[in-house]
Amino acid sequence: MALLQIAEPGQSAKPHQRKLAVGIDLGTTHSLVASVRSGQAETLPNSRGEHLLPSVVRYLADELPQVGVKAQAHLVDDAANTVMSVKRLMGRGIEDVKRLGENMPYLFEACDQGMPLINTVSGLKSPVQVSADILRALVQRGESSLGGELVGAVITVPAYFDDAQRQATKDAAQLAGIQVLRLLNEPTAAAVAYGLEQDQQEHGTIAVFDLGGGTFDISILRMEQGVFEVLATGGDSALGGDDFDHALAEWMHQERQIPAKLDLAQQRFLLRLARAGKELLSDLQSTQLSFEGWPGTEAYADLELTREQMNLLLDPIIGKAIRATKRTLRDAKVTPDDVARIVMVGGSTRSLRVQERVAELFQQQLLTDIDPDRVVALGAARQADVLAGNQSGEELLLLDVLPLSLGLETMGGLVERVIDRNTPIPVARAQEFTTYQDGQTAMSIHVLQGERELVQDCRSLSRFELRGIPAMTAGAAKIRVTFQVDADGLLEVSARELTSGVAASVQVKPSYGLSDVQIADMIKASWTNVEDDRSARSLREQQVEADRLVEAVTMALAEDGERLLTSQEQQAIVKQMEQLVLARNGQDHHAIAKQIEVMAKASDAYAAMRMDDSIKRALAGKSVDQL
Amino acid sequence: MDISQDYFSCYGLPCDFAVDLAVLRQSHRRLQQQHHPDRFVSQSDSEQRRAVQITAYLNQAYATLLEPLKRGIYLLQLQGMDPLAPNNTQMPMDFLLQQIELRESLEDMPRAQDPEAEIDVMASRLQLQASQLENEFAQAYGSSDFEIAEKTVRKLQFIVKLQQQLDALEGALLD
Repeated sequence: MALLQIAEPGQSAKPHQRKLAVGIDLGTTHSLVASVRSGQAETLPNSRGEHLLPSVVRYLADELPQVGVKAQAHLVDDAANTVMSVKRLMGRGIEDVKRLGENMPYLFEACDQGMPLINTVSGLKSPVQVSADILRALVQRGESSLGGELVGAVITVPAYFDDAQRQATKDAAQLAGIQVLRLLNEPTAAAVAYGLEQDQQEHGTIAVFDLGGGTFDISILRMEQGVFEVLATGGDSALGGDDFDHALAEWMHQERQIPAKLDLAQQRFLLRLARAGKELLSDLQSTQLSFEGWPGTEAYADLELTREQMNLLLDPIIGKAIRATKRTLRDAKVTPDDVARIVMVGGSTRSLRVQERVAELFQQQLLTDIDPDRVVALGAARQADVLAGNQSGEELLLLDVLPLSLGLETMGGLVERVIDRNTPIPVARAQEFTTYQDGQTAMSIHVLQGERELVQDCRSLSRFELRGIPAMTAGAAKIRVTFQVDADGLLEVSARELTSGVAASVQVKPSYGLSDVQIADMIKASWTNVEDDRSARSLREQQVEADRLVEAVTMALAEDGERLLTSQEQQAIVKQMEQLVLARNGQDHHAIAKQIEVMAKASDAYAAMRMDDSIKRALAGKSVDQL
Repeated sequence: MDISQDYFSCYGLPCDFAVDLAVLRQSHRRLQQQHHPDRFVSQSDSEQRRAVQITAYLNQAYATLLEPLKRGIYLLQLQGMDPLAPNNTQMPMDFLLQQIELRESLEDMPRAQDPEAEIDVMASRLQLQASQLENEFAQAYGSSDFEIAEKTVRKLQFIVKLQQQLDALEGALLD
C-alpha cells in the first residue's frame, strides 16, 4: 500500500536511523552551522539564539580559547591574541601573509613548511589550528542542537580557493576531529539551498552571483534531473562590498576637502559613515551625512548623498563584477538569455544597485528570498544530508569543476598546462616528459596553479624530485607525471619513469598543507591539552566542594560543637579539616577528593548526632496534638 | 565498471563519428549518479578511490566524445594512428596560405573600425569550415579511408585553434 509509506519530502522513512550531519559555512567574518531537520534545512543557533558565529578566536594563557562573540569583544584590548579573518591566511605562505598582514596586529613567525604561525600567549598557532578551533565550536553547537554525535560535515569553500587553501581547510577539519563528507564550493551550495532541482522544469541554467565583503564569485550551473553540473566559475578575489565603502569614503574626503593625511581613527570614521549612508539609501532617495563627532579638532558641515550620486560611485565597481559575469557566461558557452534562475549570495547583494544591475544583465527577477548570509550554510546542510545517506530515491548530485588550471614548470620558467580550469572533477591527466641531458638520473618537478604563462605569476603548490632514473642518453627516458584531482578539488601528483621497468614514483601534498605526521602530532597535542583542560576543571570542582564542606563543618562546630561533642572528638574533626585545607590549596584534585571523603566520614557521626538533636529539640515540650 | 574499455562502449554508443549528443549526455548523467564519489562517502578508502578513478575516466570519456575534434582524434587513435605526432606536420600549401591569411586578419581585428562585426563574420566563416571538415571526416572514416580522415582532422585542429583565439579576442574586447 503506497499510502502507508508516505513521508515528509526529504525525510527518511525511518527517522530513528537518521544520521546526524551538518553543513558548515566557514566564513571570513562569520561562520554558520546548519542541518536538515524534518525535511527542512535550518541554521542552528547557540543557547542565546544567535545563528552567526563571528569567526574570531582569542587565545588565553591557561584556558581554552574563546570563540565567537566572547572573543570578538577583545579585538581591541587583546588584539595580539585575538585572531580574526583567518580564512584569508589559509593555505598561504609567509610571504603572502606579509603582504596581506600589513594591517594585522599579529606577530608572525614562519615554520619550516613556509606556513605562517601566529605568536599568542598560548603558543604558536597556525591558521589551520585557528580554523580548527572555530570548527570545534560549530561542531559542538551542532552536536548539542541535534543531540548526538555527527557522522560528518560538508564544509564550504569559495570557488576560487586553490589547492593549498582547500587542503588547509580539510586539515583544519581533521584537526578538529570532524569527518569531512565533502568540500563544497560556496556558489554550488547556494544553488542547492534553493532546491532548484525540484523545479517544474526538467532542466535549466542557473547563475549564482556571490558578492561578499572582499570577494566576488560567479558560477554558472546546469541542472538536469537532480544533477547540478557546474559549467564555469569565475570572479575576482579582490572585489566586494568593502570597495563600495571605500569609494563613498573617498568621495566624502574630496567633497569636504578633508586634508589628505588621515589617521586610523579618522579613516574608520569615514568608512563607518559611508556604510551607514549606503544602508540608509536602501530605503531613502537621499540622506545627510553628518560629521558630528569627527575625531580630532575639526568638524565638517553635513553632506548630502543622493541615491543617484551613490550609484555613480558604485557603478564602476559593480561594472567589474558584471564584466566578470559576462566572461564566465562565455566560458560556460551560454548567453544571459539562456539563464533561467539567478541566485544572489553574500551580504553585498543586499545593495539595490547591485540587484538592479544584475537584473538588467539577465533581464529577469532575481532569487533573493533566502537570507544571503545563510544561504550557503543551508545548501551545505542539504548536501550533508544526502551524503550521510539520509535521502533515498531521486538523489541530488553535484558535479563540480576545477576552479584554476594546473600545470608544471618547463624550461625557461614557463608553465605547461596539464589540466585546464573548468574541467569537471574528479579528473586524472598524465603528461610525458623526458630528460634533456645524457646520463641525467633525477628530475625536478614543480607543480603550479593559475591562469598565467609564467611560473612567477602562478601559485607554487609543490616541488619534488624524481630520483633513481637509470642513466640514459638525453631524450630516451620517459617520465610520466600524473595529476589526479578528487571530488573535493584536492590534487595528488605522482611521477614515474616508464622505459626502464625500474619505476620510481612519489606522492606529494601541497607545500602549504600539513604533512600527515604533523597533523597526527597536532591531534595528539590537542588530546594532551584536553587532558590538561580536564584536570584543570576537576581541580576547580574539587576545590569548590572542599570549601563548601569546610564552611559547613566550621559553622556546625561553632553552633553546637561544644554541646554535642567531647573535646577529643572536636579536636579530631578540626585536625581532619586542616588536612583537607592543605590538600585544597595544592594542585592535585585526586588528593582533595580523598581528603573530602575522609572528612565526610569523620564528621558522619557528628552529623547524625546533630540530626537527632534537632529532632529532639523540635519535639521537646510539644504534645502529640501539636504536631 | 570497466575503465579499460573504449569510450564509446562505456556509453553504449556505436563506435562512429556521428554521436547522438542527447544520448551521450543522458548516459553520462546516469553513470555519474551511479559511480560518483558522493555515493561512496561512507565506504572504505579503496572503494572511494575507485569511485574517483571511475568518474575521472567518465569525465575524460565525456569530454572526448562531446567535441568533434577530440572525437575524431580518438577514433583514429583507436585505429592505432597518431594524428597529433609532432613529426606529422605536412599540410597542403593552399590550406597553409589560407591559414596565414586568416591569422593576419585576426591580428588586425582589434584595430578595425567595428571589431565586433568583423569577429562575427570570421566566426561564421570558421564555423562553416569546421562543419565542412567534420562532414569530410565522417565520410572518410565511414569508408575506412583513415589517411584522408587523418589529414582532415589535422585541418580541423587548425580551425579549432583559430576559433579559440577568436573567442579570446572577443573576450578581451568586451572586457
